[in-house]
Amino acid sequence: MPPRRITNIDDSDSDISILDDVDIEARGKAKGKGKAVDRGQSSKSKSKAKEQPYAWEATYTRSWDTVQEDEAGSLQGAVEDLIARGRRRRLLAPAAAIRRTIIRHLILILDLSASMLDRDMRPTRFDLMLQYAREFVTEWFDQNPLGQIGIVGMRSGVGERAGEMSGNPQDVLRAMHERHKLEPAGEPSLQNAIEMARSSMSHLPTHSSREIVIIFGSLTTCDPGNIHDTLDECIKDKIRISVVALAAEMKICRDLCDKTGGQFGVAMNEGHFKDLLFELIPPPAQRAAVSRAAGASATNLSADLMMMGFPTRLPNTSPPSLCVCHSELKSEGFLCPRCAAKVCDVPTDCDICGLMIVSSPHLARSYHHLFPVKAYKAVESLVDTPNPSPTCHACSVNFADVALPKPGSAMEGMSPIGRYRCPDCHHDFCTDCDVFVHDVVHCCPGCGK
Amino acid sequence: MDKASHLSVILDLSPVQWHLFGQSTNPFPLSLSSFLSQLLAFLNAHTACKDENTLAVFGAFPGKSVLLFSSTTGISEGDLGPADANTYRPFKMLDATIMKSILEELEELSGAQEESPLGLVGALTKALCYINRTSSAASSAPAARSEETNLPDPRILIISVSPDQPSAYIPIMNSIFSAQKLKVTIDVCKLFGSDSVFLQQASHLTGGSYIFLERPDALLQYLTMSFLPPPALRQLLSVPTQDKVDFRAACFCHKNIVDVGFVCSVCLSIFCQPVPVCSTCRTKFPIKTLQRLNASKPPAPTANRAAIPATSLPRSTSIGSGTPRLTPLSNGNGTVHPPSQNGTPR
Repeated sequence: MPPRRITNIDDSDSDISILDDVDIEARGKAKGKGKAVDRGQSSKSKSKAKEQPYAWEATYTRSWDTVQEDEAGSLQGAVEDLIARGRRRRLLAPAAAIRRTIIRHLILILDLSASMLDRDMRPTRFDLMLQYAREFVTEWFDQNPLGQIGIVGMRSGVGERAGEMSGNPQDVLRAMHERHKLEPAGEPSLQNAIEMARSSMSHLPTHSSREIVIIFGSLTTCDPGNIHDTLDECIKDKIRISVVALAAEMKICRDLCDKTGGQFGVAMNEGHFKDLLFELIPPPAQRAAVSRAAGASATNLSADLMMMGFPTRLPNTSPPSLCVCHSELKSEGFLCPRCAAKVCDVPTDCDICGLMIVSSPHLARSYHHLFPVKAYKAVESLVDTPNPSPTCHACSVNFADVALPKPGSAMEGMSPIGRYRCPDCHHDFCTDCDVFVHDVVHCCPGCGK
Repeated sequence: MDKASHLSVILDLSPVQWHLFGQSTNPFPLSLSSFLSQLLAFLNAHTACKDENTLAVFGAFPGKSVLLFSSTTGISEGDLGPADANTYRPFKMLDATIMKSILEELEELSGAQEESPLGLVGALTKALCYINRTSSAASSAPAARSEETNLPDPRILIISVSPDQPSAYIPIMNSIFSAQKLKVTIDVCKLFGSDSVFLQQASHLTGGSYIFLERPDALLQYLTMSFLPPPALRQLLSVPTQDKVDFRAACFCHKNIVDVGFVCSVCLSIFCQPVPVCSTCRTKFPIKTLQRLNASKPPAPTANRAAIPATSLPRSTSIGSGTPRLTPLSNGNGTVHPPSQNGTPR
């Protein structure tokens, strides 16, 4: 039995023996962090709801009241309506101005100690970690196209560099591809691994973020020195450490995360493990300038103007020539726009003239954050519209002729007639297109911007 | 071709460009009417390939974009006129609808409208919304229906005669990324004018083919040989793929298409010349950087190249050592400060 359950045992004893309201108080003290909270919610949600419902409970408490069957007794319409409403609500959520890091640098530290062979997660912790780590990397690069990931393993008391920092997801995935090279053994060493990650990130420019994500399955760490010194160094270097623990909470892991501004979580099961890991994918808000010694001006200081070149890609049918990076005879490659040297891959720095060569689509992936589409207004009625268009401007689906009165739709920003109007071009769009335009396309079909 | 496929065609119907194209001074002029007759033959071929094939045709006119035809919307019988024993009815329906709507739209265009920029972005986003709607309807429908309405191979064919509009750079890139997400292939057939940088990137990023027609009078042959087979079949057919892909971008300040730009490290806006303040995120750049970039604009910047060893791992080394070279940029001429320190001189 893995030791992580131990923390629960005294709690669950109290469930049986103590009366309900006493239990609430006891639990109120006991729930500090981590999974005590989550477990308390699942087992005791009813008694808690009477006292002070959690926010997420409150949202769904009476959800069955809002569902109504249609004439045929089917719930499909009601369910679709709920889904549409949820999407709409998410869309209308106020986008607080948070400064997020775009150029991210992340070292993924994988626990390759013997404790990863535990089978409390199927098939083993190790296999599950590899599988999720691969999905994590793919998704991470999708959302952070300018980021770079390096991989470090913790095995037999030392840190092992499994994959160099790379901006190419294929390189990173290849580092994790061969399972037998990562076979777990020995004890993990947090300090060694963090030091290795730190040293490989210490030279990075100040405008990029430095992060370490640790997937930690062990309950011990076997360090050569004082890990708190390492922690202090990380704080000094502004490295953000996040830990996903598979066993139980360790004080040092919690400290690492809290003091560096990272997130800490203990996975309760396979799904929760994935959730915890994937929460680390969206770019973190840049740490407030307050925490920096130099204050607000420091953030501006780190901003800079960079000279970049956008290359021309040669197809693999072009006549082969030597590349400047490997001196190999190749057909495909990218031509530096300034000196016309051929490099194998982008982003990189031209080996001849030193120009930073990036592919412009990489940069363009982030532009929808800069120029978001204005939220469409829900059309309440067609009374003041002289000539309503019969179809959605984007997908040409026919609008419903009659309004379907739905309770409470107006206040949640839902249009009773399923029309949403762009404030700029005054075209009407259907619910699907409204969400699709704002979530995916980021470009209004009416105004073309 | 065992699976049905969906094709959305986007026609560039800019009257000015078509007029230029049709002039007899061109080596291979092609008039709009002969283009349309060749195109209709191609569209008929697509619908004839398989019963379940679906088609949507969008027109990009100056200043607007219109859905000209879609195989899912019904067509009123009265438009078709008397039945003709010599034509296949669906073909006639398709031809008549497209011709009629193009004619209507062109007649509506006034002189002032002809000058406004082409609604290519609108047409592209509409095509994406249409594909999104039809494919999501298919996935949410009950299993019995989903098989026939599912769009396994949605693709978009852009037939372009107009030059790039640098002002539409960001919307076009956004549409390309959403096409990638929807797994839509974008094919580009460029009939006239110079190569389009943005459409080249569009087809490259979505795995389609970009073909610049050397002999536009052979349009129908190009269309049937290269764009009729769905993407799954193209690997077997050795369809002409594109030659070079130009990854140039449009700058935010003057909408020039640039190959060397200046990029804000905070929001990644591209500028064609060094600017003191980022116009997008209002970040002020250090004055030293500006001076240095201005000084080194024509020649190469004085980055210290000696520090980078050419090792046997050039891919990762160039990445790993590529970023630190930003450090001298931020710290000024030649003097390299320890990069990790926060207290670098202002």
